[in-house]
Amino acid sequence: MGDRDTPTRRQFLAAGSVIGTAALAGCNGIFSGGGEETTSSTTSTGTTSTGTTSTSTSRDVDISNWRGSSPLVQDRPMPGGPSITEMPDLEGELTLYIGGGEGGLYQQLATLLQKHYPDFTVHTRYSAANQVLTEGQNGQVRADVFWANDAGSLGVVEDADLAASLDGDTTDLVPSRYHTDAWTGVAGRARAIPYNTKQFSESDVPDSIDAFTDTADLDAKMGWAPSYPAFQSFVTAMRVLEGEDATRSWLNGMQERGHGGMSQYKNEWYVSNAVADGEIGAGIANHYYTIRVISSRPNAPIDLAFTKNDAGALVDVAGAEVMKDTSNPELAQNFVHHLLSAEAQEFLATWSFAYPMIGGVDPVEQLPALSALNPPDLDLTKLANVQPTLDLLRQTGVLS
Amino acid sequence: MTVRDRLIGLAEFGDERRRHRAIAALATCFALLVASPVIWMVVRALGAPPDAFALLVSPGTLQVLVNSVVVIAAVSAFSVLIGVPLAVLTVQTDLPFGRFWTVTAALPLVIPEYIGAFAFASAFGPHGAFADALVPLGVTSIPTIYGLQGTVIVFTLFTYPYVFLTTRAGLLSVDETLVEAARTLDRSSIGALREIVLPQVLPAISAGVLLTALDSLADFGTPAIMHYDTFMRQIYVQYNNYAQPGYTALLSMELLVVVAVVLVLESRVSGDANAGFSGGGSGRPGSVRLGRWRWPATLFPAAVAVLAIGVPLAILVKWHYRTGTTYAGFAFHLSDVLHSVEVSALAAVAALVASLPVAYYAARSDSPLSTVVDRVSYVGYAVPGLVLGISLVYFGTAFVPALYQTLPMLVFAYVVRFLPQAVGSVRSSFLQVDDTLTEAARTLEHSPLAAFRRVTIPLVAPGLAAGAALVFLTTMKELQATLVLQPTGFRTLVTYIWKVQEAGYYSEAAIPALVLVGVSALSMLVLLARERYDV
Repeated sequence: MGDRDTPTRRQFLAAGSVIGTAALAGCNGIFSGGGEETTSSTTSTGTTSTGTTSTSTSRDVDISNWRGSSPLVQDRPMPGGPSITEMPDLEGELTLYIGGGEGGLYQQLATLLQKHYPDFTVHTRYSAANQVLTEGQNGQVRADVFWANDAGSLGVVEDADLAASLDGDTTDLVPSRYHTDAWTGVAGRARAIPYNTKQFSESDVPDSIDAFTDTADLDAKMGWAPSYPAFQSFVTAMRVLEGEDATRSWLNGMQERGHGGMSQYKNEWYVSNAVADGEIGAGIANHYYTIRVISSRPNAPIDLAFTKNDAGALVDVAGAEVMKDTSNPELAQNFVHHLLSAEAQEFLATWSFAYPMIGGVDPVEQLPALSALNPPDLDLTKLANVQPTLDLLRQTGVLS
Repeated sequence: MTVRDRLIGLAEFGDERRRHRAIAALATCFALLVASPVIWMVVRALGAPPDAFALLVSPGTLQVLVNSVVVIAAVSAFSVLIGVPLAVLTVQTDLPFGRFWTVTAALPLVIPEYIGAFAFASAFGPHGAFADALVPLGVTSIPTIYGLQGTVIVFTLFTYPYVFLTTRAGLLSVDETLVEAARTLDRSSIGALREIVLPQVLPAISAGVLLTALDSLADFGTPAIMHYDTFMRQIYVQYNNYAQPGYTALLSMELLVVVAVVLVLESRVSGDANAGFSGGGSGRPGSVRLGRWRWPATLFPAAVAVLAIGVPLAILVKWHYRTGTTYAGFAFHLSDVLHSVEVSALAAVAALVASLPVAYYAARSDSPLSTVVDRVSYVGYAVPGLVLGISLVYFGTAFVPALYQTLPMLVFAYVVRFLPQAVGSVRSSFLQVDDTLTEAARTLEHSPLAAFRRVTIPLVAPGLAAGAALVFLTTMKELQATLVLQPTGFRTLVTYIWKVQEAGYYSEAAIPALVLVGVSALSMLVLLARERYDV
């Protein structure tokens, strides 16, 4: 990850507006209203008439519009990286398919971009990869851009030959492990170990995923969510890295620990919430759920630990790809490029608590920097091969 | 062309047999149409890799199949224990505020199961609100809600309204003169209820039980939150594996087999009651006087309402206020509410229209075909929303791309999903209509259509209202088909609620959930007001 030499490229954006306006524009106001325009667009644009085709890179950007309102994200430095003010305007109509539960937040980001550009309209819907694939079978892909929440989904759409190549200056912004020619990560999702701080300290949590099967302190105190796709991606990663047999004995070992075995949850928010409640002492989950629990319950006794250089430290990405059949490839490419702007990355870091993909933006301060994580060396597109993982989970009884 | 138009056309034939045949043809067409998405499943299932077939009979799959059967048996039984007494109380007795309790008893249907299950885990889980409240009293641990018991409790509380609504419609169509006659023969009120009323409403009860059972079978969220494995998890897990659609289809076929068994069992129960003799009811409420039990009797509907509506809303509100600063990441608009009401009303009307020939045919004909048509109309209901949605994406893009992602296609999906709710309610009402009445009307020189309109329709009005209410309420909370088939940019209350809960922001679900319950309550009042029989 030597390409993440962030501080030198950090450039501070001119906020453009006085603090008073920023406060007035506070995020509650922005997100609550249908009719209310953001300060950033009202300063330079009037109504959406077709005439105003000023090549306005002059539109001001007020970063507080893009930043989350959680108390966790106060006092952040200005984000660095390419600003949308340096990018060509978004103009025209775009259909965006969003896969997965983060959809609400992603949709808000798309709406913010729409508010920023008077001649830009984005139509969003929540559609996972199987809808894109089914449309593709009949040559009826309706999406211009597909924004999935895992690399596996991006990979199957790419494999079905439905995705176009991305512009080089877009993918150049992202470390090579988090993009291919056809898709780019826009938000990192790290595997992590949420633990209850009343029951454990960080040193109690092993820094190797394999060691969990030998740690008696954790007996019958852990939970996971085997039907949740991100958990399956983690097991797929382990299969690829360590092989089928090692993964099988790890799964068996985890289930045999203590008398209670592993508690099973619906998804990894439930795992993280159960850790905060003390229902379990530790879990296996994506990192951002823990930050969301803390965000809604600031005093919750929960913190995150990370393993090193193994599947437990996998960093998967939510990412975007341009559909081959789009009628407006220029707009679609430019939109994906915008997702990697300083403003969009700041939004993703502070609203969804994801790991930003560009160097100039930091994750929230409760998280270690991306460069401080130790993800395994793994081609993320291999995560699409889920069926052998499901077979393994069933053979070991983790799934029925 | 509406059913009414067709019926007018039919009326001109004048010939009883040809008319009968035309209704049969129409009913068959509707049934085949709503069963058509299954074709996609069959095609996909046949293309599944050999390993997938082994999965069908693996010990794990069989185990969860048994788990599912246990769940639906228990939920069916408990739904009858809650739904039938509630229906009797609100229809047959002088319970105070009957209309109010009618609405509260129907409302749990609109609360999405995953919200209900979340609330129950949150309230009664090992570290939940209830356990916390008991700690000062010296109670340190409560029996766990996780497992079969929690799954059954949640399913029962949020699906018993099917039984309540269909039973209620059945009771309203019961001929009171028969009950009076029984009483003159020295029967007690309760005795009359048991010996005269119950046999007549049995088809209605079993129609409701069927809906309860099929709903519980097809839900993944509740058992997952309650740490209990059911068959639906197999399908859900495979569905997330985009690269292998064959597995999902194959497992869905296996689910269909279970459903087929349930359908056959149910038709045994309601079939026996076909011989029921009855005239049109003038189902006046209050025929059973509760006396000094009148007020204590309200405790039952009140307790059910507290558990099934109060607990979920209280937990969401608690989450809402626990969050120090409101998480305002999601915009929530009035248009979301309007969209929900709009599509739900459209679906209710469309399903009602489509159900008339199917239900009439099923109730009036003894031919084996009529039974088959009726049962086939349930097939769409048995297909998980996930699978139905994606199969309609396939059909839409392959054959009618102009309709794909439009409102008509979405409403069609709802009709496929929910037609049985209308058919079940309407059919059991038709069964209660005495043929001699319609014949009498015709001898009074009414045309067959006029007889149908003036005599039959008013008699089955409670069934129509119940059918419309069921379809309306379940469409209000439908998610899976809505997500894949709605016009792009078209948002509803439930897609909003799903979005926030999926990301873990339950605090944001409180207000839309309150709105969902409020709007549904108002809609119920409108529906009840249109019923001819005052509650």
